[in-house]
Amino acid sequence: MIKTDVIIIGGGATGCGIARDLALRGIPHCLIEKGDFAAGATGACHGLLHSGGRYAVSDPIAAKECFDENMILRRIGEKCVERTGGLFVRLPGDSKLFRERFLRSCDDIGIPTEILSSTKALELVPNLNPEIEEAIRVPDCSIDPFRLCLLNMKTSQMKGGLSFIRHRVTEIVQSHGRCIGVKATDAATGEVKEIHGNILVNASGAWADLVARLAGCEVPLTLSKGSLVITNHRLTDMVINRLRPSSDGDIIVPNEAVCLAGTTSLAVEDPDALSTQSAEVDAIISEAGRMIPHFNRARIIRAFSGVRPLLRSQKMDSREISRGFQIIDHQNGLYSIVGGKLTTFRLMAEKMVDTIMNAFNLKHDCETADQPLDGQEELSGYPLSKRLANMKNILCECELVSRGSVEKIIQETGTRHVGDISHRTRLGMGPCQGGFCTFRALGVMHDMEVLTAQQSMQSLREFLQRRFRGIRYALWGDQLREEQLVEYIYLGILAMEKTRERH
Amino acid sequence: MSVIEYDVIVIGAGAAGLTAAAWLAEQKLRVALVTAGEPTACLSTGCIDVCSRSDQPLHGIAGLPDEHPFHRVSPETLKQALEDFRRMMADMDMPYEGTLEENRLVLSAIGTFKTTCLVPATMHASPQSDEEKIHLITFTGLKDFYPGYLLSRLRNASFSSYDAGVSTTMGIAAHFEDRAFLETFLLWLERQNIREDKIAFPAVLGLESSSFVLNQIESRLERPVFEIPTLPPSMPGRRLFNVMKDHLRRRGGVIYWNWPVVGVEKSGRQIEAVTTEAQGRPNSLNARAFILATGSFVGGGLYANRDRIVEKVFNLPVFAPENRDDWFEQDYFSMNHGIGQAGIPVDEAFCPQGSPWNNIFVCGSILARTETLKNGCGHGFAIATGRAAARSCLERLK
Repeated sequence: MIKTDVIIIGGGATGCGIARDLALRGIPHCLIEKGDFAAGATGACHGLLHSGGRYAVSDPIAAKECFDENMILRRIGEKCVERTGGLFVRLPGDSKLFRERFLRSCDDIGIPTEILSSTKALELVPNLNPEIEEAIRVPDCSIDPFRLCLLNMKTSQMKGGLSFIRHRVTEIVQSHGRCIGVKATDAATGEVKEIHGNILVNASGAWADLVARLAGCEVPLTLSKGSLVITNHRLTDMVINRLRPSSDGDIIVPNEAVCLAGTTSLAVEDPDALSTQSAEVDAIISEAGRMIPHFNRARIIRAFSGVRPLLRSQKMDSREISRGFQIIDHQNGLYSIVGGKLTTFRLMAEKMVDTIMNAFNLKHDCETADQPLDGQEELSGYPLSKRLANMKNILCECELVSRGSVEKIIQETGTRHVGDISHRTRLGMGPCQGGFCTFRALGVMHDMEVLTAQQSMQSLREFLQRRFRGIRYALWGDQLREEQLVEYIYLGILAMEKTRERH
Repeated sequence: MSVIEYDVIVIGAGAAGLTAAAWLAEQKLRVALVTAGEPTACLSTGCIDVCSRSDQPLHGIAGLPDEHPFHRVSPETLKQALEDFRRMMADMDMPYEGTLEENRLVLSAIGTFKTTCLVPATMHASPQSDEEKIHLITFTGLKDFYPGYLLSRLRNASFSSYDAGVSTTMGIAAHFEDRAFLETFLLWLERQNIREDKIAFPAVLGLESSSFVLNQIESRLERPVFEIPTLPPSMPGRRLFNVMKDHLRRRGGVIYWNWPVVGVEKSGRQIEAVTTEAQGRPNSLNARAFILATGSFVGGGLYANRDRIVEKVFNLPVFAPENRDDWFEQDYFSMNHGIGQAGIPVDEAFCPQGSPWNNIFVCGSILARTETLKNGCGHGFAIATGRAAARSCLERLK
């Protein structure tokens, strides 16, 4: 049995932020995540570090939180936040009244704005629709959510915090009506770990209600599915927003070598049963295409969906629900933290840990806003120079990932999951979406004896099914052509469908 | 702009186009073949799949749906086409084994068995069951070949690896063309003291000299040796197409390599010429008839727009599932994706249906309802329809 003070359930931005905050205040903790870090809504978002502009009109409080956090994160995460800046563009026909309200709200909140003529905006982003009326510049940024989680966990690890990924919490252990620990099952081995602590924090996002129910509690959530598409190129160096009330396909964010556009908003019941629809993909492309016409011809390499865990309210359209967050004290040692957004993860963590400190009458102020994120040097961005330094034995040609860097990750993390390698190296993130290199990475994992031959094969099968779910709704044009080649390789050359016959 | 006249222009350098062009050249027609570049069929295993859905190819064909284009090829034409193919490959010192009576199995790079009809002689000894005792030779760092996948499915296999100093199949194949490398390698191989019945290699045993390399290894080790097809770039695929290309040239055919077709010239119901672009200069290639063998999506014959699928050269009417949601099923491994049916529907003479032009003939995987993967209708289907379309074209020109 493992003993600690605080058990965090969920390895999204919130959970990882809490781990860092606890670490800086010297509180022992253990984080448990059923998938990989950022596997839920954190990893399925734009990667937009909001300036607050998006919520200025509809939710000034959330907008202010976003703006403040944006300023903090660009300071503490200098190397992992890309200061792209953002534009809110007004197309012919878009409400002028909204523009006025937008400017006034931003002004009230303190979000700096600059009104640009269409000519000036086109100089900044040449791919913009030349018909835009004007653009308003705001301090939006882009951030890689996965890397953000890893950087937060780095501090936790440095201070002796524990974390178990690919461990699913299957039971909350209770004694005399209080939650005293959890049982977590290792997905790879089936081994069950029992971890005891004084406080349990449920930061499992869209799964919060499912986790709370393990302790006989409830978390009233509305789940809202949002879909996104990724292009194979970076069509803009700035974040592009549509200057109108929130709607489908109104944000485009550059991230690394690609662009993400979205989203949509559809109520869903089950966070584990998401599928993207062609109609959503078409809607996003055509809306994004109104801001950047090239979107209509761009190669879409992936379409996927995430779930926003929103606090339940009576309003019908989930987009209108407050993006603010809430901490629920279940009065039995379990706290749930729900709502919020990627941009405000640090603030959420601060408030959560403040609550814990108060409950235990401990005094140690939050330091997460002052200390720079640990480990930024090694995990910073997309340093081509770093990857070009070792051009020998390239496993992933799209993203230039060498065999050496894959082997390094396997050695460091001992991972048995190829997705962990992708997240840490960008292997398989390019146009072929892992069609060629995953076969190789799994072969290397077998060579290094972290997987048996059977496990490599099984992982390859599962990867291909999972990959297909991500690309299926974005298959046409060159992407379809490449996909047909990949299909020919696995089914025509390798006769992979026949692996079903025997296990 | 220069104007050149031919009897027939074949568009596409895959198995279908090369077969059609070579046969027409043998009939003493003036034939040119234009291709946008290297055919995607170079990526293939080099095996000739006729119809892999049954143990017997002919039986498999008989069981294909009524509208399948294979039913437009008479059994005699199919037999003749494959016999000619075998003879031609043997003449060019790249022999193929197998018979239309029965399909055979080829061990794949992940240890499954792929069903096919004719195989290059370098795969002749490929095992027909997972019980056979095999020793696998791999090459250190080879990035597209991992013995682990094979070992996971073969009961009696072992492996050793040789460091050839390169990590690509192309690089190792090039080394095998070098006699000094081969000799050093053979000495190493003899020292391995292999006791298994057969020796397997990823398909890297040379490019032009694969027969020679294979014979050398077999005679020194006194055991059957076979190649396992690899992921692209695939040496057996490349060998096959180099040979078919040479054969066409020897028959007097002209090949315009890297000449993508960018337009057509037409008059009445006839296509008069295709315009191609090479080195930035447009050229008109005139002919009395045209054979379209541009392949499916991978080959570039078809292109899927978000709303509909188009044929790239003549804009011929395309048959396809109407709704994009029906192009793919949920299960990746279903082998039954609707998109496999997309292509050009043709009449008995391999002329496109519903097209205004009467001097176009279509063959190969661009034909509608082929479903290459599902039915295992690969190069064998391409060779057969290439031959049949060429014959039909010749009759029209008489």
